[in-house]
Amino acid sequence: MALKSEANRWGVGARTLHWIMAVLIIGLGLVGLYMSDLPNSPQKIKIYALHKSVGLTVLALLLLRLAWRLADRRPDELPMPRWQALAARAVHGLLYVLMFALPLSGWLYNSASGYPLQWFSLFNLPSLTGGADPALKGLAHNIHVYGFYVLVLALLAHAGAALKHHFIDRDDTLVRMLPLLRRRPHVPMSREPALTAVGTPAPLDRVPAPPADPSPEIAKP
Amino acid sequence: MKRLALIALLALAGSVQAKDWTVDPSSTLGFSGSYQGEKFSGKFPRFNAKVTLDKADLANARLDVEIDVTSVTTGNADYDGELKGSAFFDFAKFPKARFVSTTVKESGGALVADGTLTIRDKSRPVQITLDFKPAGATATLDVQATLKRLDFDVGTGDWADTSLIGGDIAVTSHLALK
Repeated sequence: MALKSEANRWGVGARTLHWIMAVLIIGLGLVGLYMSDLPNSPQKIKIYALHKSVGLTVLALLLLRLAWRLADRRPDELPMPRWQALAARAVHGLLYVLMFALPLSGWLYNSASGYPLQWFSLFNLPSLTGGADPALKGLAHNIHVYGFYVLVLALLAHAGAALKHHFIDRDDTLVRMLPLLRRRPHVPMSREPALTAVGTPAPLDRVPAPPADPSPEIAKP
Repeated sequence: MKRLALIALLALAGSVQAKDWTVDPSSTLGFSGSYQGEKFSGKFPRFNAKVTLDKADLANARLDVEIDVTSVTTGNADYDGELKGSAFFDFAKFPKARFVSTTVKESGGALVADGTLTIRDKSRPVQITLDFKPAGATATLDVQATLKRLDFDVGTGDWADTSLIGGDIAVTSHLALK
């Protein structure tokens, strides 16, 4: 599997960053919703500390991802109506903005509240405000909360569109970003080796080589 | 008669030596500790100190400090809200803390006072370091001590976790005396 992206496939680098960040961001959202109404306790503080540490991790991964994006190529766009291509690009841009705005507003909210900021109890990060700042605190909190709701909508559009491409348009949009799975071929072939590609490891001689690889199970709903 | 006068004079001098200082309202009492790897600090704006101190008469030296615990502030409303509760200072039950010295002595060029500190319902012996600087009719007294907060039940239950709030609390006070 290639580290860099190809004309018809996202590379290991882009896919790894995409899915690690997806898991972390969904986890952050769920923990974020859960934690804010807890009564104050050391337990709550530890959950917040985890949320902050993971959020900072997402911010760092985003910088890495942007750098990788500059170094990597993008696969060719699949045939689709122009409005869909434009909408996809707009949502991608919005997601990047939100992946910046949410951790940064969280950091700002934390700083303006006068709290320390630690990354997994290993080291502390500086305050963005140099102490408590009640006016900025409210603003940062609003950006964090409303940004989260916009993020939920953007993610629904992003994942919904990917599923629509997969199940309705039956194109490669989703598969070429998925880990493990092989690209959907233009001519469907035997599905048997594909099952092994999804599940248990296949003997080396049965792993098909792209681009003539067989259709994975997920490609045949 | 002359002898009596001399005795009276010596007695007067003695009482002057064991000087009772008046503590100026500009005096401060503060503390600091660590929370999530970062220093925090706070103060007790209201306290009452009675200071009897003269380097030449340490046997009669005495410090008696009563602290209005409910005046505590860290500058962070969230922290302050927690400090007043039962897990920390428990304002409702223990509004006062007090330090009373038992002995003051010179040790390695510095003055140290041993005494008893009471916070909440815990009384423990503590030693504090004094930096006493007389200057004519006035003087300054800087006090330092390091306390173990758990000795005094400050932060009970889950709050006793010192990986979150450090166990050592540094206490400093600057007293302007006249």
